[in-house]
Amino acid sequence: MIRHHPSAETLLAHAAGQLPAGHALVVAAHAQGCPHCRAELARLEALGGELLDSLTPEGMALDAFTATLARLDEPPHPRRVPAKPRQANLRLPHGISLPSVLAGAEISRWLWVGPGVRYSRVRLPWAPNDNVMLLSVAANRRVIAHSHGGSEFTQVLQGSFSDETGHYGAGDMAEEDNDTNHQPRANDDGCLCLAALEGGLRLPWLTRLTRRFA
Amino acid sequence: MLAELLSRVAATRDRQAYAVLFKHFAPRVKAYLRRAGMEATAAEEVAQEVMLSLWRKAESFDASRAGASTWVFAIARNARIDHARRVRGLPSEPEPEAESYPSAEALTLTAERASLVRGALSALGPDQRQIVQLFFFSDKPHSAIASALDLPLGTVKSRIRLATAKLRAILGDAP
Ligand SMILES: [Zn+2]
Repeated sequence: MIRHHPSAETLLAHAAGQLPAGHALVVAAHAQGCPHCRAELARLEALGGELLDSLTPEGMALDAFTATLARLDEPPHPRRVPAKPRQANLRLPHGISLPSVLAGAEISRWLWVGPGVRYSRVRLPWAPNDNVMLLSVAANRRVIAHSHGGSEFTQVLQGSFSDETGHYGAGDMAEEDNDTNHQPRANDDGCLCLAALEGGLRLPWLTRLTRRFA
Repeated sequence: MLAELLSRVAATRDRQAYAVLFKHFAPRVKAYLRRAGMEATAAEEVAQEVMLSLWRKAESFDASRAGASTWVFAIARNARIDHARRVRGLPSEPEPEAESYPSAEALTLTAERASLVRGALSALGPDQRQIVQLFFFSDKPHSAIASALDLPLGTVKSRIRLATAKLRAILGDAP
């Protein structure tokens, strides 16, 4: 059962197209598994439609309609879609697959961060500077994920983790502000997460992250 | 009515129906793009592309899932985001695979949702309504809201939170 959803503002920002690509990806991964948020997003998009209708129209060029008519039968532009992305085989636990929103992303092999903690860099060709990663934390390991200067969205794909704000299981999404100094710890079942962090990829923080949970 | 025209475009490639849709949506999409900070020439070009997408994707319009304006809004929003990537030389995000939701969701009444949303918008005070509008229609919503309502930037976040809380309270678990 899903207990943690994106905040109302985050869903509004997603519907309005105002989230950075990495954060939008995490929200989309959550919504894929959450009928509640899909319904909320449908309502917010309807709000967008309503607002679009209420806008004062801005005159189009005089030949806009004829120009468009002339192009109706043209084949569509080949989309600037990236070539099939390179995705390392992460050897996920049996029965676990990556959310389909990652289909177009490049996924690196696991990189060691500390005992029991690995991460894989997720690179979005359409937003190469967005900082997205898969994080795998072994049972009872702790991650001090301190992202400097921005918010952090985390979708739990498998297992669970806990911090001061609660217990997050598979399907839950956690939203942390830069001012929350949280220390998430994987529970007995370990944890696989998809996370987006605001700001560039800062490796130094990752190296300082892990500690054996006593 | 707009939804019916879209369905006619999908079913019979009806150019008269398309003309009406163009007249209604193209200038609104252009206004949306202009408010999102696009220059006039680019906004004109992208608005025409959105209208081409409307023609090409009409089959994927499902009146039981979304109203016509909602569907066009989503196309325009994605075109705005894609344009910003294009000018930076970045590729497009692959389009998500067709969504297949449980039928109960697909059957929610689109018209009912639209009138609820209209009601919610008018139930907001003028300030909150403007906040929601700017949130949808600005390039940099936070600073746009700060300057439009003459608020310090630091308080914008909580004002947005209040407006969205009110919206959610009204919309609740509506269809
Ligand atoms: Zn949810």
